[in-house]
Amino acid sequence: MVDTAVRRRTALLEVEDLAVHFGGVKAVDGITLQMRPGHIYGVLGPNGSGKSTLLGAVTRLTPLTRGRVLLEGQDYTRVPARKVHRMGIARTFQTVRLLDDRSVRDNILLGQDTLARRARRTTGARVDEVMERVGVREVAQLRPDELSYGMQRRVEFARAIIGSPRLLLLDEPTAGMNTAERAEIGTLMKQLRDEGVTQFIVEHDVQMMVDTCDHLFAMNVGRLIAQGEPLEVVRHPAVQEAYVGKGAARGA
Amino acid sequence: MSDWYSMNVVLIQTTLTTFLLALSIQVPLRFGVFSFAGVGAFGIGGYTGVIAMVHLEWTTWPSVALGTLLAGVVVFGLGLLVQRLNGLYMGMATIAFTLIISVVAVNGGDLTGGAGGLYGALGDIYTGHIVAIAAVVVAVAVWTEAKGMGRRIDTVRDDPELAGAIGIDVAKYRLASFAISGLIGGLAGAITTLLRSTITPAEVNFHLVIVALTAIVVGGARSWVGALIGAVVFVWLPTVISFVAEWEKVVYGLIVAVAAIYLPNGVLGVVKDVVHRVRTRDERARLAVLQEKG
Repeated sequence: MVDTAVRRRTALLEVEDLAVHFGGVKAVDGITLQMRPGHIYGVLGPNGSGKSTLLGAVTRLTPLTRGRVLLEGQDYTRVPARKVHRMGIARTFQTVRLLDDRSVRDNILLGQDTLARRARRTTGARVDEVMERVGVREVAQLRPDELSYGMQRRVEFARAIIGSPRLLLLDEPTAGMNTAERAEIGTLMKQLRDEGVTQFIVEHDVQMMVDTCDHLFAMNVGRLIAQGEPLEVVRHPAVQEAYVGKGAARGA
Repeated sequence: MSDWYSMNVVLIQTTLTTFLLALSIQVPLRFGVFSFAGVGAFGIGGYTGVIAMVHLEWTTWPSVALGTLLAGVVVFGLGLLVQRLNGLYMGMATIAFTLIISVVAVNGGDLTGGAGGLYGALGDIYTGHIVAIAAVVVAVAVWTEAKGMGRRIDTVRDDPELAGAIGIDVAKYRLASFAISGLIGGLAGAITTLLRSTITPAEVNFHLVIVALTAIVVGGARSWVGALIGAVVFVWLPTVISFVAEWEKVVYGLIVAVAAIYLPNGVLGVVKDVVHRVRTRDERARLAVLQEKG
């Protein structure tokens, strides 16, 4: 009981026995985890392991079959997705989702349009600061379809951080980026962590996850199979087996 | 100028009322709602305006107000019923609503004048009144297109799931689009009818959907300016191309086909693209340098 109370005080996000089933398919099946403020958490797993579904469930975009989600101890399992954003949870998507008819600047501003007026920090200056930070200020008036995929990813990242979220969920944030761009985004994530923003990342780039994350979760067929220090998790036999198969993992 | 105005006053007034009718269809489309209920609202506004003047002996503006409000309320109610529908299903349901208004008008007995319609409701409406009303409607349209509101509406249309993820109540916005569409459609119907002094069921029919849609397709579906361009083109086209005589409908069809195929965002879209390319020339040059470095 005391443990639970202490954990509640220190955890930013708690996921309890979370399950998401689509008919007979158990995309996520009984996940329990906690995240503390100001850390970067990553989730690894092969395709179809339920990583993005877990992200969807945490943002309430994906309906839960079972379980609870709590932010700073407050149960928001029944809170509609549109209100989760105002609680300080922002996200990016596996496939870039931007408004093609709007400028880069407008797309970024969208991230704070629905926040309470007091939460919108001097809009003009704030959007310039965020654009500078993610490296898109030079192309502020262009439309997303005029940019490379990597640049579009940066715009989506900027939209997610402009509202100063407490929890940032990033679904494959460096997909489509070159090595230098990946390194830049990794550095930005660490800066945000140092400013107190908790991040939860789904990413296929194992090296980037090891370099960037403080704590890793590994999933396979909807279940958590390992968690802990990044290198430990990557070397965990169950994780190796999930990625390369039983025989190959033994041989490795 | 005054001679020109006197000669064209009907065309000018028709341009403005067609603009309002086109807006009543364009507004829900901008919200991603494939609804034609604005045309039904046009019928409700028109009939209510005439009934108020002829049967209740109301003056012009209270009659217009009653027609506008009733159309807004009815179309909002329709929105509550059909809000879960999408795409073609939404289109079919709202076209059916428009046809029902026409059928009710035919079978409404003395109240609606039956198949012959209602006569004798000449409103005290002048061009200046319609310009002022259109200006108010445009001000509302500008507000829905500008800054944060415009961004939110674009997101509701283009990506409802993203809209939900960034805190937008998609259902509320979609319902609001029904109410706005109903009010504007009702206003257009009431003014048009009280200008002509008459309304018949044949005037509230599918052809109005075509008129409104073609104006939007040619002008542009993303802004009130597009609806205005479309209204000007189609109201003034017969005058401009009168030399083609009986080929007029063919020319009309060709213009719509060419716009639909080659101008997906209408005339306004082409203008906006050109302006965008000119204004962002330097930024695109900087982007090319950035990508070369990357």
